[in-house]
Amino acid sequence: MDAKDILLGLPKPTTTPTPHGHQLLPLPADKKSRPPKESQRKPDGISREVYALTGGLAPLMPSVDVNHLKRRAQSENEKITWQWLPFTSSARKDNLQLYHWVRVVNGVPPSGDYSFAKYNKSVDVIKYTDDEYEKHLTDPMWTKEETDELFDLCERFDLRFIVIADRFPTSRTVEELKSRYYSVCRAILIARAPAPGDIAGHPLVKDAYNISQDVERKRALSMVLSQTKQQERRDAEVLAEAKRISEARKAAKGTDELEVPAMTDTVPDDNDGAAAAVDSLSPSPNAQFTSGAIAPPVSEIASTLASLRMMRVYLRTHALEQMVQAASSSAGLRTIKRVEQTLQDLGVNLKPKVPTKAVCAEHLELRKEILTLLNLQKQLQYKEAEGSSYRDGLYAETPGTPPKRVQRAVEQDRTFVPDSFSFGGERMGKRDQKRKAPGRLLEGPPSPAQSKRPRKFKASDG
Amino acid sequence: MPQSSSSSKKHGTDQPDIGGPASKSQRTKMVKSSDDTEKKNLAKKLKELEISVPIVYGNIAFWLGKKASEYQSHKWTVYVRGGTNEDISVVVKRVVFQLHSSFNNPTRVVDGPPFELSESGWGEFEIVITLHFHNDVCEKPLHLYHHLKLYPEDDSGPMSTKKPVVVESYDEIVFTEPSEGFFSRVQNHPAVVVPRLPAGFALPPPVPLEDADKRRRGDTKDHTLSQWFSNFSEADELLKLAAARQQVQAHIATLRRQLSLIDGQHQQLKSASDM
Repeated sequence: MDAKDILLGLPKPTTTPTPHGHQLLPLPADKKSRPPKESQRKPDGISREVYALTGGLAPLMPSVDVNHLKRRAQSENEKITWQWLPFTSSARKDNLQLYHWVRVVNGVPPSGDYSFAKYNKSVDVIKYTDDEYEKHLTDPMWTKEETDELFDLCERFDLRFIVIADRFPTSRTVEELKSRYYSVCRAILIARAPAPGDIAGHPLVKDAYNISQDVERKRALSMVLSQTKQQERRDAEVLAEAKRISEARKAAKGTDELEVPAMTDTVPDDNDGAAAAVDSLSPSPNAQFTSGAIAPPVSEIASTLASLRMMRVYLRTHALEQMVQAASSSAGLRTIKRVEQTLQDLGVNLKPKVPTKAVCAEHLELRKEILTLLNLQKQLQYKEAEGSSYRDGLYAETPGTPPKRVQRAVEQDRTFVPDSFSFGGERMGKRDQKRKAPGRLLEGPPSPAQSKRPRKFKASDG
Repeated sequence: MPQSSSSSKKHGTDQPDIGGPASKSQRTKMVKSSDDTEKKNLAKKLKELEISVPIVYGNIAFWLGKKASEYQSHKWTVYVRGGTNEDISVVVKRVVFQLHSSFNNPTRVVDGPPFELSESGWGEFEIVITLHFHNDVCEKPLHLYHHLKLYPEDDSGPMSTKKPVVVESYDEIVFTEPSEGFFSRVQNHPAVVVPRLPAGFALPPPVPLEDADKRRRGDTKDHTLSQWFSNFSEADELLKLAAARQQVQAHIATLRRQLSLIDGQHQQLKSASDM
């Protein structure tokens, strides 16, 4: 029952005093015109406000079948009360009595130990006698008092060495404390064992604590942790480069174009040495760009060859696919599409119909040459764009806009031989239009478009 | 190894004809060590070689015409054969054709040549053809994928029961780092393309198979369906590729000339603007 039910659910009163005088309460009868579902009756099981969240309508599908919800077991059979009762815990050595709420069933409080007492675990720290100390445990670096103190702390703090190190009276590192503790335990174990063979399997005996190794390990970890993001990236680059180079080395037998110093295991310390090598690598691919950008895929190709060799048996079509991929690894998707378009224009099958060794080799070489061709075309475009910038760049068109496909017949050997296939036609038009300026230097009178431009200089003048 | 020494030239170690028993033992010692190095060199050479087996695989499908039912409209054969119809069982031990699951026992194993499988049906699906090789050849199997084709590409007129639909693919199986046994076994077989060993290396000729007749039957030269086999000639493709390469190379040369010209011009411009 909530407020609205009370207001609306009750039978219609005749008159009821209200602040507005004898005004009748809104009657359920009036509501009949309104959609009966809303605000007439609160649905069972959930509050009115929650029901309104669904839009005031019942959901189409029951989201949770009420029958599936667990019924609070025995809620009707027993009497449940909650009482504020004292309790003790076996985990405590003193007899401190604390209080807490307890669920009492039918007047019977629960029995048993405090439920969290079972989590009070502790370590069994070895206790040695003075005699044993004299016989087995003396150490030049440690006094007996220190060792005793150490073991006392270990017992108190359950071998939490960080805490122990903090509380240790003389300043000792965590590793030193650990080393002393474990070596003492080990010595005691060996001394107390009836026969050496009995404890040979004990982890303390088998794998003793190695303090120098631990120190080194922590140092290395902290180095890795404190690496800046840039260093991390450089490391990843170096490792990838090393991997590629070792693969290329394996296959290419030293015919690699890029000279690389031998890459041994890179430890975090050797960042600088390795990073320097990476830096020396990066300029060289750029330098090779003008030679047709074939250099970068060399290692890809070599590693593909190596992995094919590893396969022991493969199909030649598969091999060709891999080699084509490797050769085009430096090219973007658009370039690859242009290569395929060129192949089609040349009347060559994208995948050879008769993939013999010779055919596949020729096909691969053709693809590489087409890549070179496209790269050179791009370079030419760039150069000409550069050329225009020498003239204050007063061309109407920007380098990016492709002009209409005009095949200009220019006299000199600047045009291509008119091809039977029009690959590069569009680009040729663009090139020709751009070539107006450089052409000017060597040949005839200016075309009308040019005369408007103020020419700062003319090489022919100078 | 009497065979090898007779067929190989001992390069590097000449045997001077020194008479006498002492020198004879010396000679045999020299022979032995040169044999060893020869063996090592041979092994190294073999590692760099590859043996290839040209194959053609595909299917031929006949429409059954009047005899066609709803579920058996075509009779088809899927197969793997040698590229020149030679017997590939010299390297292939058995072939497994994995058919569509709607077929009974869709995994069909063919243990000897001719490596083919005939069935009837109505549907087109991908068949996985797995080639298993002899133990001395390769331990890993190789998979081929063929889409079974029953219906002709172009709907040109009525289907004929006489003219089948044929789809074949040419490929070559490449074996890297062949073992000596494998190499010597197949070096003279017509189905296998074996590179010539450089001068000075040779392997003993293979032990001839007892059953030469059995070998003969494995080739597909006189196969019933051989009239429908396609002819794959690399010459055509090579010519086209060579022509294409020439064109591309010519353009590359032209572009390079232009680039260097422009570079020259830019140099001039630069010096001019500096004036």
